[in-house]
Amino acid sequence: MLMKRLPIEGKVDFMSVRMFAFALSAVALAASVILIPMKGLNFGIDFAGGMLVEITKPEGAEIEDIRALANELELKAPNITEASGTGANAEETFVIRAALPDEDEVATDADTNTDESAATDQEIDEAQRFIDALEAAYPHSDVEERDWEILRRDSVGPRVSNELLQAGITALAVSLIFMLAYIWFRFQIAFSVGAVMALLHDVILTVGVFSLLQIDFDLTTIAALLTIIGYSMNDTVVVYDRVREELRKYKKMPLKDVINLSLNKTLSRTLLTSGTTLLALISIYVLGGEVLRGFSFALIWGVVIGTYSSIFIASALLLHTGLTRDPEKLQSADEIFSKS
Amino acid sequence: MLQFPPWKVALILFVSVFGALFALPNVLNENQRESIPSFLPSSPANLGLDLRGGVSLLLSVDAEQSVTKQLNDLLREARAKLQTTRGDNRISYTAIRVEDDAVRFRLRDNSMSDRAIALMREMNQPIGGPLGAPSIEVSQAGNGEIEISFTPQRVEEIMAEATRQTVSKLGPRLDPDGLGEILVQPSGENDIIVEAPGESDPERLIRVIEQPGVLTFNLVVEDQNALNEALRTGQPRVGNIIRQSVTGETLLLESDPIIEGDMVRSSSQGFHPENNQPIVNFTFNTTGARLFGEATSQNRGRRFAILLDDAVQSAPRINSAILQGSGFIEGSFTVESARELATVIQAGALPAQVNVESVRVVGPTLGQDSIEAGALASIIGLILVAIFMLFAYGLFGIFAVGSLIVNILLIFGALSGLGATLTLPGIAGIILTIGMAVDANVLVFERIREESRNGRKPISAIESGYQQALSTILDANITTLLAASVLYTLGSGPVKGFAVTLAIGIFTSVFTAFVLTRWFSVIWLRATRPTKLPM
Repeated sequence: MLMKRLPIEGKVDFMSVRMFAFALSAVALAASVILIPMKGLNFGIDFAGGMLVEITKPEGAEIEDIRALANELELKAPNITEASGTGANAEETFVIRAALPDEDEVATDADTNTDESAATDQEIDEAQRFIDALEAAYPHSDVEERDWEILRRDSVGPRVSNELLQAGITALAVSLIFMLAYIWFRFQIAFSVGAVMALLHDVILTVGVFSLLQIDFDLTTIAALLTIIGYSMNDTVVVYDRVREELRKYKKMPLKDVINLSLNKTLSRTLLTSGTTLLALISIYVLGGEVLRGFSFALIWGVVIGTYSSIFIASALLLHTGLTRDPEKLQSADEIFSKS
Repeated sequence: MLQFPPWKVALILFVSVFGALFALPNVLNENQRESIPSFLPSSPANLGLDLRGGVSLLLSVDAEQSVTKQLNDLLREARAKLQTTRGDNRISYTAIRVEDDAVRFRLRDNSMSDRAIALMREMNQPIGGPLGAPSIEVSQAGNGEIEISFTPQRVEEIMAEATRQTVSKLGPRLDPDGLGEILVQPSGENDIIVEAPGESDPERLIRVIEQPGVLTFNLVVEDQNALNEALRTGQPRVGNIIRQSVTGETLLLESDPIIEGDMVRSSSQGFHPENNQPIVNFTFNTTGARLFGEATSQNRGRRFAILLDDAVQSAPRINSAILQGSGFIEGSFTVESARELATVIQAGALPAQVNVESVRVVGPTLGQDSIEAGALASIIGLILVAIFMLFAYGLFGIFAVGSLIVNILLIFGALSGLGATLTLPGIAGIILTIGMAVDANVLVFERIREESRNGRKPISAIESGYQQALSTILDANITTLLAASVLYTLGSGPVKGFAVTLAIGIFTSVFTAFVLTRWFSVIWLRATRPTKLPM
């Protein structure tokens, strides 16, 4: 069997290269922190507000034609891309995005009705205006058998997008606090610090990659980030459990060796689980279509980074966070429960 | 270890069969589903709008507007109360108006202020019964004016009521026959979510939603001089209003309507008996019929205007008293717009203006494509993981894959059984679970291997492997469950679907890894009594 041939009782000295890993992570984190405000995030319409229309290609329409149409309608900051669509016999599609017009601009257009609500609805109508123009430019020959169709269209007003962004940030913060509290409760504060540093590391680097590659950052990305937090935590907990166990077993062994030993003992599990999860995720990335691409990309990246961080950040930091080797504090859950 | 109690076996079989039964309708087509006996579950998992296709709208209710409306009612009530005072007790007032969220008026004689305040306090209607918080505050402002305002509790109540009423009026407007599956539900403080599966034209929905639907019948003041005067000064006399008709005529109307829209019992689209144009028929309720009968008999020869959302639809002359309690509205309607209008009138006016905050439409093709893509990705993912596990663990890999398949059945069973909604990210959650579900198995298998290398016999290696992996598996899954629950509260349809499948997947994978795989191992141990582990 495959795994038998792998160096099961591995003797990899992870801890000796930790300074190198710290340096690497520090550089990557610094790069992300600089990049994110500089390059910004490519907020999808969930967070930026605006309109999005995806259509299958009308016959004879080139991307330039659609662009010209968008300019003619004076769409605000239009952005038109080609995409490959979803599904096995996927057709080529156009994705048209634009910002919604400002409220005051609309208010001057809309005859006498200057109250705010009318303006909001005008903004929301921007997608309809574009679709009406499209249907005029590329009339359907037959109503039953349309030669092109609207796959999806979204319009999100500014109030909703602000609220969603806030909800997303709150969710990230809350889940980090939950994780910190859980590890504190189950282990000790020294573990907790390492684990949360690793999570922050994963979140910042993921957001950094989204900024670097300018991938759409929307509500599903936040969902992906939360899943990454869960996954990375899962990985870290498995290693920590082992560290605690080995600490009890080898009371005199230097901490560094105990951590190395634990990492090696859990290494094949770490690789196997990451491997199966990645296989599943790659299958979504390749086959799941346009809508899930950003989401599955974030998860793939997160699994890789999360596996790395549980070894080189979460575990390695245990050497620097003042871990107590007092046996009282190294009990596992079963022991705590059976005593009380 | 080898004693696997019968109740556990029964539990495993029970859960698996139950899961399979609930999961079954998902793979059947409509006809096959109908042939399922009625005592068995026959509904598949609900598909989210992103998979079925449809329109989803987020609306906000302008609840402040409804507070203003209530203030105007309060003003009318206050004026009526002041006018009932007689003789020595007569409170004489001036400049009554709504300003800065309060009804205000000035007293001609300031010595009456205590009496005026006491009188106004009679309008207090304690919230939630006689002992509740007061609904209004009455005081004398610095400039000597009497000021009546709503308490914060009352304002909150009005705003909540506005949203509730809007939800209850939008339902019948959007789905007049009650057949469709259009969902209208409140969200947050003053928001409403509308979901219309299968719909592809949001404009139609938005038109029906946004129409305030305020219908009134007002008498026309046929005094050309007064109209000219009002047009010149821009200010009609007290008790009159100026309105445009749809045909372009300018009319002076009495501001107090003779009939209001809530006195209409039913309304439907029809055709004009003479010119065959589309019209909107309506029938009054008893009160409406009586009032309309009185008004028409007292005002024979005058015209009355049918006002809809401040535009005069028509202004027919009253030739004789109309006592049968029904009538019609004519205007420049199409069949479609007349039908929409009839629906709006029937459902009644909205208590406050509704604004559209976001529109999301998924076409039917994209939804179907997404389902197919998701199914394909799941199957390929499952096959890849299965091959991987077989290579890694041999026979035990087969056990793990067997558990994984039951796991997927259980996830679908739970989704259908709980009536949860499957969304596209939810499918991704299932695929992710496929990848992560083997984790619990892997943790156990690695422990077994380790114990086996330390010289333990297969039986005791397996036993101790399961024992030692338990706390790790629990810890690892509880953290993921925490993340999933935070995700769930984050809300928004598709993402919520992901959180639900992720959470369900955590429970089912711990169950399958810890109970099912273990059972497989025990059966195998009993049957073969091996001396060496094949892994």
